[in-house]
Parts: sequence; structure tokens; C-alpha cells
Amino acid sequence: MAEMVKFDHVAFGYAPGAETIRDLSFTIEKGDFVALIGANGAGKSTISRLCNGLLRPTAGRVTLCGQDTLTTPTSRLARSVGFLFQNPDRQICENTVRDEIAFSMKAQGWPQAKIEERIASALDTFHLQGDWFPFERSRGERQRIALAGVLVCEPELLILDEPTTGLDYLECIGIMDYVKTLNEEKGVTVLMVSHDMELVQSYARRVFVLNDGRLLGDGPVNTIMKNTALLGQARVLPAQIPALALCFDERFADVYTVDDMEAVLKGGHPL
Amino acid sequence: MNLLHYTPGSSFLHRLNPITKLALAFFYGVACILCDSVLGEVGFILLMLAISAAAGLGARALRLTRTLAILGLFMFVLQLLFVRDGSPLLVIGNLCVFTSGGLKSALLLSLRVIATMLPLMMLFAITQMNDLCNALVKQAHLPYRYAFIVTTAFRFVPLFTTEFREIEDAQRARGVEFETKNLIKKIQLAAPLCVPLLVSSLKKVDASAISAEMRGFSRRNRTSGFKEYPLGARDALAMAFVAVLIGISAIFL
Repeated sequence: MAEMVKFDHVAFGYAPGAETIRDLSFTIEKGDFVALIGANGAGKSTISRLCNGLLRPTAGRVTLCGQDTLTTPTSRLARSVGFLFQNPDRQICENTVRDEIAFSMKAQGWPQAKIEERIASALDTFHLQGDWFPFERSRGERQRIALAGVLVCEPELLILDEPTTGLDYLECIGIMDYVKTLNEEKGVTVLMVSHDMELVQSYARRVFVLNDGRLLGDGPVNTIMKNTALLGQARVLPAQIPALALCFDERFADVYTVDDMEAVLKGGHPL
Repeated sequence: MNLLHYTPGSSFLHRLNPITKLALAFFYGVACILCDSVLGEVGFILLMLAISAAAGLGARALRLTRTLAILGLFMFVLQLLFVRDGSPLLVIGNLCVFTSGGLKSALLLSLRVIATMLPLMMLFAITQMNDLCNALVKQAHLPYRYAFIVTTAFRFVPLFTTEFREIEDAQRARGVEFETKNLIKKIQLAAPLCVPLLVSSLKKVDASAISAEMRGFSRRNRTSGFKEYPLGARDALAMAFVAVLIGISAIFL
């Protein structure tokens, strides 16, 4: 697989002498769905901002599709990366949903005909109306408007910084299902920062566990979620279903194995 | 680092009564305004830098001076081009670009702006806004509501600065080229950022108002505060010093 993002011994600090990220190295392949998990201050949001050049490493190298973020302007990197912020109000700046969706395309110099075509498609996909005043809509609708504004440019990498904060269950599922479809059908690489372990368990395929600016673990979601020692080290609680499965496994270890439990969940095992 | 942020310390300046600090900054500014000499204004700037250095804030005062110098430069250019007193100093063809009076006025005004604003800006470095607010209520008998409005306005400045940076980052991530050197284009690009800033500011103010009201804001009065802010000998000494400065400025400069 081709690499999308590469961190090569990256260090970063917001103030001299105080490093938030220390000697971090990893690669995200094209088509990956990666979740960054860890306690507050672990460096999750910092890593997401290093990916698209909003922050520049103080040591080491970050490359995005082979472009060094230290030498490439963020505005150029934005052609490959879509960034959905936790708070949509920081992103929305136009008076109508139509203008808001067009904003990124205009900033990146798209032709007008293509912009009009994309707006119509985005309004339809995200169930939005072009003449809405964005700031008067609900939190979920504003998040959908922000997401539409990001995805309309068809980014190769989509970074989601706590995308479902403040959303109800249905809005959360609606947004995440759409992102999953993009990832599976169009091969869009997703990097998601989240504190919601249920969400991570349900959607991510690969998980990075962070603590104090260091990568403690990197692996498939099911492997990471079973590793309670690793999660505890990162001050993270596993999602409820894996936690329940682990309890069950400990209690009935001599009777049933985790494989039995997985078979039961899939159905058909004569338990 | 935010230029208006409080820096903890135990220097003579830090230990002054918050009202004395406010009065000192104000009257130091008055002394600078009364001064009519370019060298005098330079002296006032250097004196303030020395005072700040004695309080352990020399580097910060220098950074502030540099920031204020940008405003001073703007004033300098305006005065130089528009004040026509005195003899012509630079003439191109038939056009007099600037005069001796214009140069003197430009130098004086730009330095005066720096000298006047520097102590007011340094006030934030040595005074906690809560202390200033409480002292204004207790000592100056200002109604708490008004003292709160003033101090909160200053407290919100760094918050809005951070918010503006976050919004700018969000737009940069969408492909807006803030890296441009063209000033007019930069202003055009920054203008749309005012909308989300205004929206988030109003939301923040609204939330703060509700939060304050829920904690009995309207019932607060002069006797509510626990901490006392007595005026002492060092306050008298500091006021005497600034009175001398005003006298020197009015009579000799």
C-alpha cells in the first residue's frame, strides 16, 4: 500500500523546552481508518495538526503524500487533506450554507461550473438547504454543514478532531456511517481523534494509543481494545462490549474462550 | 506569549496597591503627554524600560515597545506627510515631501504614543484583573458591575486572540492562503473571520453572563470580597515619584 502520512522521529513543543510530542514515528497507509486515543494532553490533536501543516515539527519530518509539511504551505496541503474541527463554529464563516460549502473550493481555485455541481450534490447528500443561515441551525446540522464543506473537495485524507462531540446518537451515527462509506468505497484515508471508545471500536480499523506525547501502542482495533494494561497505561477505558467480553473471559476462562464469545456474537455457535 | 498576560512576581511594582498601579500608569502617561521634547520622550521610554527591568520584566517591556513601535511608525508617516510647518526638508521637483516641522511633529508624536502606552500595557503584566476589580470596588467605591465590565473586557482580549487564531487555522486548513505578502489581500482574507469570531464571542459572553448570574453576581457589593487592599508607604512613595515626573515634564521639557 502507498503511504499517506509519515512521521519520522517527530518532536514538537508549543513552548521551547516543553515537548508535547517526542520522537514519534509511524506511517499511515492510503485507505487506513486510524483512531488516535489517549487521555487529555496526550498529544492527539497536536498530531492531527502536524499532519496538515497547521503545526510544524521542531525536529524530525512529517510527510503527506510525499510532501514535506515543513516546506509546503498549509493552503497547498489542504488540497489533499480535509480537516473537520471539533467546534464547527470555528470553521463556518459564510452567511448561507451554499456559500459555506463553496468556500473551500473557491479558496482552492476550482472552476465555477464545477463548484455549482458540487454544491448541489453536497446539499443533497447531507440533507441541507442552500439558503439556510448556518449559525441558526442545530449543533448537528452545523457539524453536517462543516463536514459538507470539507468533503466537497474530495480530500485524500480526512482528519476528524472529535467529530461527534455534542451530537446526539442519531446525528453521530449519521456522520460516522457516511465517513465509513467514504473510507470503504472511495478509499479516503481517515484519521480520527476521539475519546469515545464505542465509536473507535465501531468504526476504526487501526488504533494509535498515546500517552504524554509518545506512541504506546499501534495495532488492529480488536487487539488494542483487548489490551487493558496498555489502555490503563494511557488512562483510557475500553469500550463496554470488549470490556464485558474480557470480564466474561476471565470469569469463565476454563469454560469458554474469547473465540467462543466471538463465535456467539456472529451467531451459530452451540453455546 | 500574550503581551497582556499577568506575570507573577514579588517586586516593588508587583506589591503596590492595584489602584496605585492604575494611577501610576495613568499619570506616567500624563507626564509623557505634557512633555514637548523628543529627547524627553525617549527618556520616558528608557525610564519605563529600566523600571520594568527592575521588576524582572525587561524582556517583556522590550517586546511591547517593539509592538508599539509599529503603531508609532504609522503615526510617524502620517505626521510626516501631513504636517506642513517649518521649512521644506525634502523636495522632489515642485513637490515638498516633508518639512522640518513635520519631521519634529512626527518624531514627537510617534515617541509619545509609545511612551504613553507602554506603562498602561505594563500594568497588565504586574496586576491581576481580579485584584484590580476588587480594589476598584473596595477603595474607589466603584459599583461592582462597572468594575467587572472593565476588567472582564481586558480579560477577554487574550481569549479572543486565541479564538481568532483557531478560526484562522480552521480557514487555513480549508485552503485559504494567509501566507500572502499582499496587505490588501490579507485584509480581504481576514474579513470573513470576523463572522465566526463575533458569533463565538457572543456565545461566550452569553454563557459567562449566565454563569455569573447563577453564582450571585447581582448580589455582590463592596463588602463581598474577602481580600483587603490597604494603601501603604510604598504607594505614597510611588505616587510622589510620578508627581515629580509630571512636574519635571511640565516645567523643564
